[in-house]
Amino acid sequence: MSVGRLRSALNGGLRHALAYGLAGLVVLAALYGLVFPETMVGDLLRLATSKSTLGAALRLAVPIACAAVGGIFAEKAGVINIGLEGLLIISAFTGVFVTDAVGSVFSIPGIWVGFVAGVLASTLLSLLFAVVCIKFRADQIIAGLAVWLIALGLAPFAATVVYGSVNTSSVGTLGTWTIPVLSELPFVGPVLFDASPTVYLMFLVVGGGWYVLNRTSFGRHVRASGENPKALDTAGVDVTRVRYLAITLSGVLSGIGGVGLSLGQVGQFIGNGQTMVNGKGFIAIVAYLFGNYNPLGAFGASVLFAGLDALQLRLQQIPAYAVPSSLVQTIPYVTVIVVLALVGHTRVPSAAGDHYESGED
Amino acid sequence: MTDAVVLDEITKRFPGVVANDAVDLTVETGSVHALLGENGAGKSTLMNVLYGLYQPEGGTIELDGEVQEFDAPRDAIDAGIGMIHQHFMLVPPMTVGENVVLGNEPTKWGGLATDRSRAREAVRELSERYGFAVDPDERVEEISVGERQRVEILKALYRGADLLILDEPTAVLTPQEVEELFDVFEELTAEGKTVLFITHKLGEAMSVADDITVLRDGENVGTVDADETSREQLAEMMVGREVVLDIETESVETGETVLDVDELTVTEEGTDQVRNVDFEIHEGEILGVAGVDGNGQAELVEALTGLRSPDEGTVTLDGENLAGVSRRGHIERGMAYIPEDRQERGLVMEFDLTENGVLGGQHTPPVGGTRIDWPSAREHASDVIETYDVRPPNPEAGAKSLSGGNQQKFLVGRELERDPGMVVATHPTRGVDVGSTEFVHDRLLALREAGVAVLLISANLAEVRGLSDRLAVMHDGEFVDVVDPDTVTEEELGLLMAGERPDEPTTTESVSADGGER
Repeated sequence: MSVGRLRSALNGGLRHALAYGLAGLVVLAALYGLVFPETMVGDLLRLATSKSTLGAALRLAVPIACAAVGGIFAEKAGVINIGLEGLLIISAFTGVFVTDAVGSVFSIPGIWVGFVAGVLASTLLSLLFAVVCIKFRADQIIAGLAVWLIALGLAPFAATVVYGSVNTSSVGTLGTWTIPVLSELPFVGPVLFDASPTVYLMFLVVGGGWYVLNRTSFGRHVRASGENPKALDTAGVDVTRVRYLAITLSGVLSGIGGVGLSLGQVGQFIGNGQTMVNGKGFIAIVAYLFGNYNPLGAFGASVLFAGLDALQLRLQQIPAYAVPSSLVQTIPYVTVIVVLALVGHTRVPSAAGDHYESGED
Repeated sequence: MTDAVVLDEITKRFPGVVANDAVDLTVETGSVHALLGENGAGKSTLMNVLYGLYQPEGGTIELDGEVQEFDAPRDAIDAGIGMIHQHFMLVPPMTVGENVVLGNEPTKWGGLATDRSRAREAVRELSERYGFAVDPDERVEEISVGERQRVEILKALYRGADLLILDEPTAVLTPQEVEELFDVFEELTAEGKTVLFITHKLGEAMSVADDITVLRDGENVGTVDADETSREQLAEMMVGREVVLDIETESVETGETVLDVDELTVTEEGTDQVRNVDFEIHEGEILGVAGVDGNGQAELVEALTGLRSPDEGTVTLDGENLAGVSRRGHIERGMAYIPEDRQERGLVMEFDLTENGVLGGQHTPPVGGTRIDWPSAREHASDVIETYDVRPPNPEAGAKSLSGGNQQKFLVGRELERDPGMVVATHPTRGVDVGSTEFVHDRLLALREAGVAVLLISANLAEVRGLSDRLAVMHDGEFVDVVDPDTVTEEELGLLMAGERPDEPTTTESVSADGGER
């Protein structure tokens, strides 16, 4: 028996067995909960599938999914954008600030003016990142960290200057849009069609992102730019332009996510510690890696993580279980690690992280 | 007959070098034209000028009788020129069809979507017209190198190229694929296309081209009709002096056993890549290994040089069992190794030649040891550069900036100057020009005379036959037979390489695998 054989068996067979075993366990637990609703498992199942938990999961998924799709565009084009967290922070703050400061313009409600401004702020910051990475050939990881740190410092600072505290005052939320007829559907209706407008926007971002990436020439150019930019260049397509566009797009989409978080759910910007964004930009990176750079997969992962987050929030409110809340809070992160270890088939674009200049050998 | 291309007095200078010095070139429409020359003769520069990548300092380009000026490849593409680079410009995870139309995608719905069925049809139609067997829906990463090259040709044809420029198209192909490529050339010229290809292999130029133009030191030495020239004449034109093309070996007294390989088996993912291989190499002996690439040669070499440990069997060097000896241990025991892929394993592309010269010698004085002695490292690199005629002769030059042939010369030099007792050489002259090939062969033979044991693995049959004392033929991980290279015929070798075992030991001149008879 060779070592190599054993190793490949471990990698292939065992990993699959573990993954399927785990999935089977979840299904079994769910069935058990269905059959014996009076047990603790049944209680948990009811909690996990309740309208409020599912609704919260979708709401919490907005910043993660939008930033993830944005990150997919940047990385597929060959630029690793780990500054997604920073883009979420800056747009979350700007959205609230402009809503509060400007008010309505030409009869457009102030909150939507703030929405556009927040997206614009994130777009501008991503453009800065693009210039630094492409024109000045900075290291993408360091530039991405800089984007995060700038936003992490700037947003609470600006809030302190304007409001005298790292938190802004409250401006109200975008509320919910109830779609007639569809929202009457049993079970899915109230979850999917009686939601914040940002949830609908998220669906649009995910579906549109998938379409653009897989069905348009621009999407092809983005993929080629991240795999073999030289091939794209010799085919007569400007690689630099494709990369600028892709990064800007990641800024726009992250902006939607960031504003979706502050204006869509909370109605104010909270600047304590890691701010209200609190690592969602980094979870977004994990989500698109988990989804193997497919916007639909990334969306699924975002909903999973957000769902676990929603569940742990609910669990904290139930004193009966008496699980320490700090332990419950780790559930989404532990899941991320377990899932990543078991999936392990992510295919990173070959040229991701590399600079490209036309005419260089 | 009109001429597809007329280059008139093209001059291209780079800082410190004149790459092309008033070069004239005329290519007839519908012909296959070979541009022959050694590494650094200016072939690629001239083609890059024609393709618009470089702007010449002087001279004119005329296509089909019209004077053209190209500022960028885009202009050349629009004028009907297609270039197939040596390193393919393909996106591996995309399909053949997607690669062919990349940058010129047919669209529908006013540009809102790519028209995939139209693209697929266009590729299928083109590929059938020229007799290419490529499936537009296969991913490029899943097809062979030969097929990838055809995808590159399809890309050029899809963009309406009438003149195809190929930069060293055969460098990466197996002999069978080379034949297929030459058939493609015929299909292309039958359709009225013109083919212009760069090569430094005499045989190729003679067998497929109609006309051959030879470049040397940036100048056009002359254009000859392929039917009316000889290998000797071409070699002399290329090198500028008479070249000995046949390898002459003198018999050397073999000594003690240096390398003893016993029942070696290497397994990967459940299949035996190398199975029960058994051989010995003695002092002053070259054992050649012939075989189609991918029949276990790479794994055998890795097991011998300490890059992986064999799953079964033993490797003994100078009487010492090498089981568990590290890669560093192999170097310290006097085993030099010329790896197959110089850019992946031989050199660090980002390092300069001084730093590359240290690699493998970082633990041994005078260069290495507890710290690296950079002055003597530079001296060492300069010595290798001078002895092996590496150009440019500058130890500060980055490995990346050297042509493939010069990288190879430096690598061969570094390994052979280690004063080894045993050399494992894989494809030591791949991509190296005629003059340097001759030099590398001479060095290997000199080592043999000095009593070094050499294991030579090469895809070039003439090379392994010419240099080896004994020739092992490898197929599907096994040594099918070990033959005398002087008496074995090309047909017999071909059969052995295809895995046909000799029926009786008497039908071919079999030599004992242990080499005792020599």
